[in-house]
Amino acid sequence: MYGGGTTFEGIKAEKKDDPVKLAEFEARIERGEKIEPTDWMPALYRKQLIRMIEQHAHSEIIGALPEGTWITRAPGFKRKMALMAKVQDEVGHAQLLYSAAETLGKSREEMIDDLINGKSKYSNIFNYPTFTWADCCFISWLVDAGAIVNQLANAKGSYGPYCRALDRICAEESFHLKYGHHCVIYLAAGTEIQRQMFQDALNRWWPPMMHFFGPSDKISVHSDTLMKWKVKMGSNDDMRNQFLDMYVPKIRELGFVIPDPKLNKNEETGRWEYTEPDWEEFKRVINGDGPCNKERLAVRRTAEERGRWVREALRSPKTVYQMPLA
Amino acid sequence: MKSLDPRVNRLPEIDIENSVSRKDPLDQLGTYEVFVQPKEGKPFQHEGALHASDREMAFVLAKESFTRRFQCISLFVVRTTNVFVSDTTEDSESVYDRIKGDVDKGGNQQSYEIFNLYKRGKQHVHIGSVSASSPELAMAAAKNKLPPSKTVYNIWTVKTSDIRFTQPDEMDLWNTLPDKKFRDASDYKGGDKLKEFLERSK
Ligand SMILES: [Fe+2]
Ligand SMILES: [Fe+2]
Ligand SMILES: [Fe+2]
Repeated sequence: MYGGGTTFEGIKAEKKDDPVKLAEFEARIERGEKIEPTDWMPALYRKQLIRMIEQHAHSEIIGALPEGTWITRAPGFKRKMALMAKVQDEVGHAQLLYSAAETLGKSREEMIDDLINGKSKYSNIFNYPTFTWADCCFISWLVDAGAIVNQLANAKGSYGPYCRALDRICAEESFHLKYGHHCVIYLAAGTEIQRQMFQDALNRWWPPMMHFFGPSDKISVHSDTLMKWKVKMGSNDDMRNQFLDMYVPKIRELGFVIPDPKLNKNEETGRWEYTEPDWEEFKRVINGDGPCNKERLAVRRTAEERGRWVREALRSPKTVYQMPLA
Repeated sequence: MKSLDPRVNRLPEIDIENSVSRKDPLDQLGTYEVFVQPKEGKPFQHEGALHASDREMAFVLAKESFTRRFQCISLFVVRTTNVFVSDTTEDSESVYDRIKGDVDKGGNQQSYEIFNLYKRGKQHVHIGSVSASSPELAMAAAKNKLPPSKTVYNIWTVKTSDIRFTQPDEMDLWNTLPDKKFRDASDYKGGDKLKEFLERSK
């Protein structure tokens, strides 16, 4: 799971790149070919990709927590099996993504270190709590839907290992999306209490869902370079617009009311109009001051601490760490 | 820690803030490459990498990470350090053109597995095995014995004895895959329920 909230920093054309190599590199991307780990790449490309893939991986791991909490309380055996399978997938996505990031030269231990020490970010939306089963259904259906919008776009990016990981991930996401929609249809077609439960979840999750795609283009760092290098595949507002296009009708079809009176598609421009999300809150939460930031990291740290003896027992002087090949 | 998650509430009180140190530089397992055969008659194909303490553990993790759904009949794992990688070529140049057809002057002959990359951005595909006295000579032997019909951009070779194959008595590992429909999108058809709901709420 992954939002466009990736924070790109220090995006300035680096001075020292060899102009001949840079031209070859850009021509390859222009032709639609993938960049592979052994190819020459600009330092900025490597840096931004590591950052983006790493944040994506952390989001999968942390994203498994708010849903994972509902496995034991999911209504009935079928829902428990499905949710367990989904959470396992999300953790598996993190494994695939960490491997892809490793091919760029950052080891997995460094990435995990940076996560548990609060140095790396992850998708902001997982800093919000899942009060009820309906919150969990909201994530399964709509947060995953948002993630799919991003992931399908990124799968057409330029870095080979990331694209291949995303192809695998997207195939599994289709199950998440169908499962999530199924859950919400059943709540919608259920009792008045069930309907209200989802409506409440929708009210709680809509603002973070709008944050999910990252700050509006008006205020976010714009990078033509990253677009040209196919690191960033669409602007935050484009992604948000695509999500609204696909899912607002589906939410309304079920008779739920999206808590934004201004939400409306401008048929002339083809763009959605909405109340500008509170970007101050977004910043506050991404910088650590959200309802669940502390808990999410604490859970990861506890896992790290409790697993230490296992890793120590498995460690062997003969084992060599190496960058994955592809 | 007070949480909505009952599991978090059950966690022992440990002083997390002060107990987590940076990981030791060696706190890292080895790297393995995973190859999967989706069905009978199809070649093994590279699927990805993972970290494990040894080959056996890598095999178990590979099964869990890469073959949870769809089809699989066999997989194998090999340590990344045991994969020998050729140059990479461009456009219409086949990497085999750079490989001299050296005569293998004997020495310790061993079996090697050969993997070709036919398209940049795709995965390496297993094409067969040859006998040679070194990984380089194995590529040369493949040039003669397994001549490719398409342009090859990159070759991997692995000593057969370095591979952890699926054993004959493990072939049934994937027999239960078809029963695990709950992992498939196709098991979540909400159309009828939705239609009934829409009718009802007209
Ligand atoms: Fe997700
Ligand atoms: Fe995911
Ligand atoms: Fe997902």
